[in-house]
Amino acid sequence: MAEAVESPGDPETTTSRPLMRDLKAVGKKFMHVLYPRKSNTLLRDWDLWGPLILCVTLALMLQRGSVDSEKDGGPQFAEVFVIVWFGAVTITLNSKLLGGNISFFQSLCVLGYCILPLTMAMLVCRLVLLAEPGPINFMVRLFVVIIMFAWSIVASTAFLADSQPPNRKALAVYPVFLFYFVISWMILTFTPQ
Amino acid sequence: MLQQDSNDDTEDVSLFDAEEETTNRPKKSKIRHPVASFFHLFFRVSAIIVYLLCELFSSSFIACMVTIILLLSCDFWAVKNVTGRLMVGLRWWNHIDEDGKSHWVFESRKASPQEGKTVSEAESRIFWLGLIACPVLWVVFAFSALFSFRVKWLAVVIMGVVLQGANLYGYIRCKVGSRKNLTSMATSYLGRQFLRQTTGDTQTSSGE
Repeated sequence: MAEAVESPGDPETTTSRPLMRDLKAVGKKFMHVLYPRKSNTLLRDWDLWGPLILCVTLALMLQRGSVDSEKDGGPQFAEVFVIVWFGAVTITLNSKLLGGNISFFQSLCVLGYCILPLTMAMLVCRLVLLAEPGPINFMVRLFVVIIMFAWSIVASTAFLADSQPPNRKALAVYPVFLFYFVISWMILTFTPQ
Repeated sequence: MLQQDSNDDTEDVSLFDAEEETTNRPKKSKIRHPVASFFHLFFRVSAIIVYLLCELFSSSFIACMVTIILLLSCDFWAVKNVTGRLMVGLRWWNHIDEDGKSHWVFESRKASPQEGKTVSEAESRIFWLGLIACPVLWVVFAFSALFSFRVKWLAVVIMGVVLQGANLYGYIRCKVGSRKNLTSMATSYLGRQFLRQTTGDTQTSSGE
């Protein structure tokens, strides 16, 4: 977690200043994902708090069944966690092997933050599923998921594609596409039975 | 020595100050940041306790997992940003420069003769004890989860190992500094401990 330079070892520094600074940094990055434009903010000051929050939120929303029962969705929670983090690490390794000049944690940061649109899609899908099931229900969810999936791809490639040499951009972007596709698939096929 | 005594007299008495200690000895064994020390240990120990006892108290795996994740995250943030700086004067972070290269920076506060800026031994002991014992426990849990096939806990346990191991590694690098290497530091530390035990040394080392 990149920090601003503070006075070294000042014993009177409270905890509230680093806390507010980190919270503001996370909020700023969420804004950058929602309105992607070419900027270095996501890359320069990386942090992994946003991806952690998004991952936990997504995993909680993807639970099926009641929370108190014996087989209470435990494996699905861990499954979402593993897919997100293992997928992000794999993409990062892939882009490093292709010769990209982005560091390990920066890449994880970007991929994690760009899950935000899909998390919003999950929220919308859960609300839509409260209405009666049917083809219209499904079409609405499909439409929302496709839009958010495209948004995630655009946001992440805006940050990641620049770090690759021009002839390798497609090779680096293709696993990102697969990663968000798998998450979108999990969201679309979710039924709260 | 006498100048230090007058400084000590005007300082506030902290929670763990031993009143019967003579004022000839510099007071370095009191805890200056009781809240930081408490929270340094609180999050780590609660995460371990919740992990061990969750099957007894709650039938919901999810609630336990989310609680442990929350505690581990709070602990990581607190130890990295607050307690290391306050208790032992060390800090570490990552800095990305203009060219996009990432540098890891490890810093330790220079010992100064002012009373407010030295490291107290009690706090240092608490800090390092908490920092070292907990990741070791999480590694033990990882092996036990693996070999008893309770694989659904592996995600949380691995997260514990990674987060707490990262702090441990960062602070050890800060302590060792960029010049010495780990083996020479370990040898000198063990040598000093051995010497202290054999000579029954009770004097505190001056300035660290």
